[in-house]
Amino acid sequence: MNKNDNIVIISKDIRANERCIRERLADCGDIQIRRMRLGDERKVDCLMVYIEVATSNMMLEDSAIGKMVGHFWEISPEEIKQFVEYNSLGIADVKKLTDMEQVFAGVLSGDAVFFMDGFDQAMKISSEGYPSMGVTEVEMEKVLRGSKEGFSDSVKTNSALIRKRLRDTRLKVVEFHMGERSHTLVQMVYMEDLVREEFLEQVKERLGAFRIDGILDSGMLEQLTEDSWFSPFPQYQTTERPDRAAQEILNGKVVLLCDNSPVALVLPGIFNSFMESSEDWYNRFEMASFLRCLRYVALAAATLLPGLYLAVIRFHTQILPTNMILSFAQAREGVPFSSIAELVLLELSFELIREAGVRIPGALGNAMGIVGGLIVGSAAVEANLVSPIVVMVVAITALGSLAIPNEEFASAFRLLKYFFLFLGGYLGIFGIVTGIYLTVSHLAGLLSFGVPYLMPFIKQSSGNGTGSGIVRVPFRKRWRRPLYAKEDERVRLKKTESGNCKNGGESE
Amino acid sequence: MKFAENNRISQRQLYRQIVIAFIAPFLLCLFGKRQTLGLSGLTGTVLALIAVLFYVIFLVRLRHAFGNPCKTAGQIGGRLVGVFFLIYCIWGATFLLDLLGEIVAVSLGTGVAKGWLCLLALLVCSMGTHRGIQRRGRIGEVSGGVVLAAVLLMLFLSIGQGKWEYLQEMVWNSSFSEKKILESGYGVICAFSGLGMLPFSLDQTVRKKENSTGKTVSLAVFTLGVLLILTELLLSSVLGWGRLKYENYPILPLLAGADLPGNVLARFDILWMGFLLYSLLFSIGSLLHYGHLIVEKSGLGTGRLWIPLLVYGGIVAEMGAWSIRDYFPLYLEYIFVPGMLIIQIVFFIIGKKRWKKKLAAAACASAIFFLTGCGGVEPEKRLYPLALGVDLNGGNLQVTYGVPDLPKSTGQEKNGEDQGNAAPSIVGESFEEIENLYGRTQEKYLDMGHLEILVLGQALLDGGRWEQALAYLKQESVIGENVYVFCCDNASEAVAWTSPQETSLGEYLLGLLENNPNGSPGQAVTLREVYHEFYDRGALPSLPEIKIQGAELEVIF
Repeated sequence: MNKNDNIVIISKDIRANERCIRERLADCGDIQIRRMRLGDERKVDCLMVYIEVATSNMMLEDSAIGKMVGHFWEISPEEIKQFVEYNSLGIADVKKLTDMEQVFAGVLSGDAVFFMDGFDQAMKISSEGYPSMGVTEVEMEKVLRGSKEGFSDSVKTNSALIRKRLRDTRLKVVEFHMGERSHTLVQMVYMEDLVREEFLEQVKERLGAFRIDGILDSGMLEQLTEDSWFSPFPQYQTTERPDRAAQEILNGKVVLLCDNSPVALVLPGIFNSFMESSEDWYNRFEMASFLRCLRYVALAAATLLPGLYLAVIRFHTQILPTNMILSFAQAREGVPFSSIAELVLLELSFELIREAGVRIPGALGNAMGIVGGLIVGSAAVEANLVSPIVVMVVAITALGSLAIPNEEFASAFRLLKYFFLFLGGYLGIFGIVTGIYLTVSHLAGLLSFGVPYLMPFIKQSSGNGTGSGIVRVPFRKRWRRPLYAKEDERVRLKKTESGNCKNGGESE
Repeated sequence: MKFAENNRISQRQLYRQIVIAFIAPFLLCLFGKRQTLGLSGLTGTVLALIAVLFYVIFLVRLRHAFGNPCKTAGQIGGRLVGVFFLIYCIWGATFLLDLLGEIVAVSLGTGVAKGWLCLLALLVCSMGTHRGIQRRGRIGEVSGGVVLAAVLLMLFLSIGQGKWEYLQEMVWNSSFSEKKILESGYGVICAFSGLGMLPFSLDQTVRKKENSTGKTVSLAVFTLGVLLILTELLLSSVLGWGRLKYENYPILPLLAGADLPGNVLARFDILWMGFLLYSLLFSIGSLLHYGHLIVEKSGLGTGRLWIPLLVYGGIVAEMGAWSIRDYFPLYLEYIFVPGMLIIQIVFFIIGKKRWKKKLAAAACASAIFFLTGCGGVEPEKRLYPLALGVDLNGGNLQVTYGVPDLPKSTGQEKNGEDQGNAAPSIVGESFEEIENLYGRTQEKYLDMGHLEILVLGQALLDGGRWEQALAYLKQESVIGENVYVFCCDNASEAVAWTSPQETSLGEYLLGLLENNPNGSPGQAVTLREVYHEFYDRGALPSLPEIKIQGAELEVIF
């Protein structure tokens, strides 16, 4: 065995290889190091190294490794060597390894590594890999129309799910290993001819710009690489849906997949994309547009309603019709808390119910949410702790926040809600206006990989035919890609010779 | 990336920035005390707009000269020019901040001291002003259209309140002279003086074609001009010529009497003020941004911290004896505008070359809230008089508040709860004394925001003290101008009257007016009409009279 610049080269002597492996993998009880003698006379010493659960049982006749081992019992040592040399069994994913670092990387990524005495290379044989849940139904981005498939914990499965939808050689999947101890596999998926080179360079640069012990989820990657890490607003769009990821790749965006995470990062993330649901593109445009507008109203309600309520009832009662303000006043008769405290308490109670609902498993969580909301709300009103109007305000706010398709984005506005609540409660409409100005000013300063966060609402994205505004344009009118796609590949819909596409598709 | 890092703004961003930065200062400051109003005002405005449009052509040609003033006028000259414009930015920001503080403190009644309000607004406006023109461009682009649309919508909604006779009054009564035209025209030109900052940033504007920047700026000026002219006409037709003489900010009560269809909101002048405040915040932010830009371009370092500090210093001084609101217009008229024109002409002559381009503030809002306290009062701790009776009682003023029975009016009676209609009555020598007495004797905060009916007693009308009553009502900014006004022999008795169905006078009269298919509200007299007659002729219009006989009530129109 030769040591070359700290890289240990695989030896022809299988005992030296075994020694080295046992030394490095001492006290790693989950890793199996199996000696075996193969060949028709059982004279060839072999060694198989694998993680117990990650690699299928060698004895199983139907597994590739099982077939290989079974075959090696029936042939001569010379034939085994030839067999290994030319992969005669035709195992799909076999790779020859020359040094021990490759061996350990292979074993730790869930593959089996096969050594043979007298042969200075090892064979990495892919197996089923680490246990994972496989492709499951989407949890967070449920739709009525569209695929039900969701990303899984396995990055390879996730990229395959995208590839399944975009069967094009121009779809590139570039791999990186991140985390000095976790060696997490991160894949950058993009359409080669749609993404700007400088954008790709920037993504690669950011991914390589830090060293960290472990990346356990795409969320960590997101926070380490975004432009303004202090902002509550997510600057990457996230999705659990392969069809959404594929859609964004077609828009000229880049998707980052991280092993052990079912959430893909889509970049750049812009304001409007957080308000879109993949279903928008499957439904008819009238309904989809209506729903999008409704989501914007929901966003405003989720953020501003408590603050506006306080501003109106504490400072500007003249805004409301007389009957309404009299009702509000009567409803609050006997409530011991100030309206600010009342609203904050009820909002926090709702946050508690929400958090508890997430932690409690399965159907019980949903029941907990409904029962908790009903009981806490009505009991608080009965006990005169809060007024019924405030329960309504909190309920509408909560519904508004749940109507926002992206959870991280909704969370940012959930936080802002408290900010507006205090501003409205203590400064009235002036506070609300100040808060809106501050928020717009902050959003105007945000960039996601150089792309302004407010992109759909500012000049650059308003080019005809991109369909990136609030209203979902008909497909025939959405003939261009957004501005961040490569300049010469911006046309996405063209007239064919048979003229099927009558309205859209003017050539650029 | 190409989209964000080219440090330029689009033409649309430039247009919207100009519009949003000028809307509120124009609407608030140009029409006080009949300034730029009337026929002379309208003519002056049109002439000034023509002059400003020509000035824009000249202005866009200054972009290279002002791109680097030190190269154009030398190190010292460039810095002096920088300081000249910087003073404008600081004074302008102080002036607008002071205006904002006053509007919020007086008209929105937050209960927070003006100094703290100004500090909060300044902190918010200072955020990111040093982060380049692009950020401001994006703020302008995102919110400019919304603010412009909202202002136009509000103006449109107030058209319904206008009266043709009031407009005719303006035509007959306003004077038309050369001097007045020149004065109001020059006033409009001074208001547009902020455009003088543009050459400092025009090198950061995307140029698609030659002169496209000029067209954009001209379009913005034209938009603002149209808005000004429309507002001038609207103010005269809604408030009346006589009243405008006494209004400092006539734009604020413009919507105080407007109704929204569907009774969704009773009043929306607060929302109107909200949009104006947003525009004011943007204007202050823009002045701070330009201040910082000028400091940078003049090689004076960075103004991130000290420019906002100086602005706040100005506000503190303003709260002492010194009043920027008096001096800033004079400074504009006699120093800045002439000085700026001279400098620009000189720069235009010597600037032939082409050159290239070029606070953070901490958030401590919570401290402001908790240190200052606030004026917010819970809705159940307020008294909502729907009717107000003002009369004379033994030579003193008597004010009676007609408050409805809350549980009955709202249908939320709990266990036979019956509060009954109330009509607390207070007698005092003046309204200030009555207010003080109310504060000392009544448990609940007096919220006049829902006043619907005003009843003036015959003794008050005969005794001539009704002017005092109108002056009192005028300074109560929460009272809408769509309040119906009646007269009665005994106002106190009328306000305390309850119908056989135990409905209070306020509710009863509203029902009587609004549920009558013959259009009774048209016959009724509103507070706005009363103000108009008062400011125009110094008299009261003929008021509908309330007659009470036992449990029966009759209104004689």
